[in-house]
Amino acid sequence: MPILQALENLHPALWRAHQVARPSEAVLPSGHADLDAQLPGGGWPARVLTELLLPHAGVGELRLLAPALAALQRRQRAVMWFDPPAAPCAWALGALGLDARQFVVVRSRGGARGRARERLPAVDVLWALEQALKSGHLGAALAWLPARLPADALRRLQLAAQAHDGPVFLLRDAQERTRPSAAPLRLLLASAGPDRLRVTLLKRRGPPLAQPLTLALAPVLSAPALARAQSARGPAAAVPRVGVPV
Amino acid sequence: MLWLALHLPLLSLEAFCATLPAQAQPVAVALIHQHRIAAVNAAAAACGVRPGMKRATALALVADLRLADTDTARDAAALQAVAHTALAFTPAVTLHDAQTVLLEVQASLRLFGGLVALRQRLAAALAPLGHRVQMAAAPTASGAALLARWHPADRGDLVLGAHARQLSALEPLLDAAPVWLLGPGREHWEALQGMGLHTLADLRALPRAGLARRFGAGLLDELDRARGRQADPRRWLEWPATFDSRLELFARAETSEQVLAGASVLLARLVAWARARQARVGSFTLRMGHERQRQAQVPATELHVELAEPALDAAHLQLLLRERLGRCQLAAPTLELQLRCRHLVVGAAPNGELFPTRASEAVGLVRLLERLRARLGDEQVQRLEPVADHRPERASRSVPVQGTAQGTVPARPGAALAAVSAAASAPVAPALPHHRPAWLLPEPLPLAERGALPLLEGRPLQLVSGPERIEAGWWDGVPAVRDYFIAQAEDGSLVWLYRSRLPAAVDDAGWFLQGRFG
Repeated sequence: MPILQALENLHPALWRAHQVARPSEAVLPSGHADLDAQLPGGGWPARVLTELLLPHAGVGELRLLAPALAALQRRQRAVMWFDPPAAPCAWALGALGLDARQFVVVRSRGGARGRARERLPAVDVLWALEQALKSGHLGAALAWLPARLPADALRRLQLAAQAHDGPVFLLRDAQERTRPSAAPLRLLLASAGPDRLRVTLLKRRGPPLAQPLTLALAPVLSAPALARAQSARGPAAAVPRVGVPV
Repeated sequence: MLWLALHLPLLSLEAFCATLPAQAQPVAVALIHQHRIAAVNAAAAACGVRPGMKRATALALVADLRLADTDTARDAAALQAVAHTALAFTPAVTLHDAQTVLLEVQASLRLFGGLVALRQRLAAALAPLGHRVQMAAAPTASGAALLARWHPADRGDLVLGAHARQLSALEPLLDAAPVWLLGPGREHWEALQGMGLHTLADLRALPRAGLARRFGAGLLDELDRARGRQADPRRWLEWPATFDSRLELFARAETSEQVLAGASVLLARLVAWARARQARVGSFTLRMGHERQRQAQVPATELHVELAEPALDAAHLQLLLRERLGRCQLAAPTLELQLRCRHLVVGAAPNGELFPTRASEAVGLVRLLERLRARLGDEQVQRLEPVADHRPERASRSVPVQGTAQGTVPARPGAALAAVSAAASAPVAPALPHHRPAWLLPEPLPLAERGALPLLEGRPLQLVSGPERIEAGWWDGVPAVRDYFIAQAEDGSLVWLYRSRLPAAVDDAGWFLQGRFG
């Protein structure tokens, strides 16, 4: 019937299960066209949490987020980093188009050092993130949360993010993919070779994506080095080996 | 001239109650002067305690009566706070006696929109101090002080307060006033009552020479000053250049909440003083004196709170102090609090914005950073600063964010434009390719080797680019002579490692992991 077919056009909040939802908030374009095509609204959603799961720091997550953060800095919005795993290099960030002097880095007192068993859940970084989101003066927040979180921590952060006009990125370990999370957008990142990133959309407001995306990142290697790296990886890419390579 | 008098009938009791910890139910409180009860509060009066009783009698009536000696220094400090609040409305403020503050407000009437509006604003400004205030206005100073002392319940139809704008209106009010309002009238109260003199009109009808001979010239002088027949010069109050206020707590404060309750009284006084000087607070210091322990005197703890943006908001100052107190470890229970402020920023506050703009966002961001610094510590909130050094570990430095840091969001639109143009025109880094990793490990990680190839977590690394030679630091004794390579790990991620070209010690030879390309 014609009325039922047009139901999803009545309001942007209505969507069918096979469609990707249209968010009512403004989205921030991620700068990667393939990824934007698969994200609801065509970019990083604002006022909600976005979870990025990494096997380890340094798979290319900053190069993935750099275009969006650079756009925010051009609009004079503040970007805060909460408990980054290592020291960011100002020159490398500048080469990616970000002004490192404008970032504010907040480190929690608990620190991320020590064995996993000794680490206490970092109450301080959660409190700081919640205060920053509730203030509503941030452009974006990047938070590296500890592994073990209290049960309702993500729910509280999701509530606090509603007051914040911009994306919130939570970067966590890839082991968390099996645990439920309140974030409406979850991506699993893995390295797919030099200067390439494999993105698996674990959860989004819409149908799940069957195939993972492969994105080209800002190049680090020059062309001959890239060729050398790909040839070294080529025959070994299919079968992971443990042993001395040729 | 129009004088406004503020009379605080319960000043001593309220100043003492400020030192008590916050209670849910009102407690019976009484002050003792020379072994007799001098003042009681409503809860104690309801149980039957009266001024003039002996201490034992009062304790027999109310078992849990809180008793303390009258302390003129404590009362004076509380009165100073009221005077400072009044200084925000007019520069002409003076103290009349231990319980009355006089303001000359003729010049301020136009600014504040009339006497009624001025009274309302003054009452609102005095509300945080928690005193009961009786107000009266009159063309003469003594007349206003006299009328303010007249309790509203005794006045009959004058419920709102005795106010007279003209001398002609003041005369009938003074005529109806009872005699004990005059200082000398209180002393000779029984004699006057015996003679049938109850109001000032009766006194006025008597011959002046006889009154002076009987009761002293002071009585006549006060009457004349109240009616405007005699000159009444006053010396205006001058506010001190620095703020230094002390509060002795009645009970030992063992938790930070109790300390905060006492400190909030001092913060209200600080805000009143700063407002009187038309300035904002830049930083303040709270000094907590501790109880003497058995071994030795515990040194006082000092908490210094520095504000990034000078503010006059008592709630914000209290929040910062609460976060700081939460982090502070008290060595012993606190007995005394002292608040000092030497850093004031004179000038009007920037205008508040109705809609969020860039300037208000910058101010909000500074306040947020202040709160984070108060709770986490000043060194935990940092920003990056590139340093012109080729050694990668020294090329960026984390400096604590301080005040309106130049690196964070600029506060003025002009500065915002300048920053935007600077960022657009000149890149931050010199023309370097992306050959630097985004993540640098704090300490270089030594890597094991197998067959001349480095291993990371047991997996061999494939060198794909390099070597990049960095030689720097020969001038400050920490030379770095290294060949840097980009290597690919098993899963495809890129890492940055180096090998020292001229290893100084055995530990320096071999591969080291410096960073990861994020």
